[in-house]
Amino acid sequence: MTAGTPTRGLPIEFSGLSKHFGPVRAVDNLSFTVEPGRVTGFLGPNGSGKTTTLRMLLGLVHPSAGTATVGGRNYWDLENPSSTVGAVLEATSFHPARRARTHLRMAARAGGHDDARADEVLELVGLTGDAKRKVGGFSMGMRQRLELATALIGDPDVLILDEPSNGLDPQGIAWLRDFMRYLAGEGRTVLVSSHLLSEMAQTIDDAVIVSFGQLKAQGTLEQITSNLTGLVMRARTPEADRLCAVLTEAHIAFRRLTHDEVAMDAVTPEQVGPLLASKQIVLYELTHEGADLESVFLSLTAGLGFGDVAAHE
Amino acid sequence: MINAIRAELIKMRSMPGVWVTFGLALPLTVLVILGVLAGAGGFPGHTFYFVQTLRQRRELLGAGYFGIEILAPIVGVLCVTGEYRHKTITTTLVLTPVRTRVLAAKVSATALWSIFIALLTLVVVAAVALPWNAALGGVTSQLTDQVGAVVPGLLVSAILLGLFGLGFGTLVKNQVAAILLTIGGTLILESLLVALARAIFHYNLNWLPNAAGAALAGDIARGFGGGGGREALRLLTWWQGGLVMLLWGLVPLTIGYFTTFRRDVT
Repeated sequence: MTAGTPTRGLPIEFSGLSKHFGPVRAVDNLSFTVEPGRVTGFLGPNGSGKTTTLRMLLGLVHPSAGTATVGGRNYWDLENPSSTVGAVLEATSFHPARRARTHLRMAARAGGHDDARADEVLELVGLTGDAKRKVGGFSMGMRQRLELATALIGDPDVLILDEPSNGLDPQGIAWLRDFMRYLAGEGRTVLVSSHLLSEMAQTIDDAVIVSFGQLKAQGTLEQITSNLTGLVMRARTPEADRLCAVLTEAHIAFRRLTHDEVAMDAVTPEQVGPLLASKQIVLYELTHEGADLESVFLSLTAGLGFGDVAAHE
Repeated sequence: MINAIRAELIKMRSMPGVWVTFGLALPLTVLVILGVLAGAGGFPGHTFYFVQTLRQRRELLGAGYFGIEILAPIVGVLCVTGEYRHKTITTTLVLTPVRTRVLAAKVSATALWSIFIALLTLVVVAAVALPWNAALGGVTSQLTDQVGAVVPGLLVSAILLGLFGLGFGTLVKNQVAAILLTIGGTLILESLLVALARAIFHYNLNWLPNAAGAALAGDIARGFGGGGGREALRLLTWWQGGLVMLLWGLVPLTIGYFTTFRRDVT
């Protein structure tokens, strides 16, 4: 936590967390900690186990092994869960005939909060004018806002958001980004899962990257990207197809950018130069680029075994 | 626990299906009142007459039972299956993560709503049956002096019938299947089974839900609303009927809790 940040959040700890659905290992021995006062991005491709991990934290899915705790306690052991943790999981979990305010009053009563809190959170998410409308008529973006309002009903110390920008328009995404930063600024713990990297790169302080249910990297955004800075190479060649074949053979992760451009991740000029020379590949250009979150993400989640160069080394 | 019950009640209050059951209780009760008054005997040329026998008086006072028998299980089914149908179970369990507490709150809310329906039918009886019976020549005390004999059975039946629906709703999870199982099962399948058991095995099959409920409700369940083969059955005693009804609710609820309700919500 940065100096001067209010201390109202709680750490979230995942320790050896695993979940198997039959033979499928959705989450595999996942261990990491999320600190208060920061926005932590929980990043991974679709199907990488992000949602399952968050649902295990909230007691919705039973772990096969390991623990997930908030402030050192299981979620279901918390005295007042909605005052401790607010969760945005899916924008479809509403009764369509229920009005927005009724839904929030239900949530307020479940958590032992005053009914007036429903109107406060409606205002917070900009839905005051729609309080009496039935949720069935809401757009996806409005449902996301209502889901967020539900999460905030108990003014929680910890906020967990699973793909919260799904369905939001650019304005809504910008609003959500500011809102998450504002909550973290108050010292709360914010854990947000997403596969929208460009969006996350502008929002998060820390990142946890998972792939196939396994931790690939964890650290501050700067730590993670700096670990790959200088290791991304871009080559322009009339023999791009042959270059790709050579890189595949050498187990080097790459992305075909254009018909004559290829980006190579996690390699140095000293590694790739001699290799291409030995294969007599004609190069028009070989440049050295800094890594961004997307580069890191792609190199870590390509399933090519680059976990060993990640920030959790 | 109180918070969870309050949340369940507000959920039920905002479910159109639950209000439909509430609304149906009114015409069904009036229908039974009509039937009891029409069957009360009287002078030739008169369709309706005031109630005379003790059983008729109790049937008139408990005219809501027929509706409750159908509607209370539906309330129970809706209370739990609606959560899965609309995926609100995720929000429910995030707000109240202890699942036994959620289920206990649902039992309480269903019981309260079933009592509301029973009380509504009593209001209809007071508003329609009492003045009508008096206008036909009866006296108010014919009904009021049976309150102690009828109302407790009516209320307890309503609660246990609601629990019965909740139990099967928890077990089956699919709303349509659960309603078919509870209502279709008791009104159609049970009658068939009772008739078959009697015809083939000479067995008095009196422990299925409908018959057990009738035993608990007593006289009010045997007339217009309760015909359908019960007359030929040797019913259990009221407390045996209550116990069996309780089991018809608790057993599927317990099995449903362990097989369905405790499952991962993915």
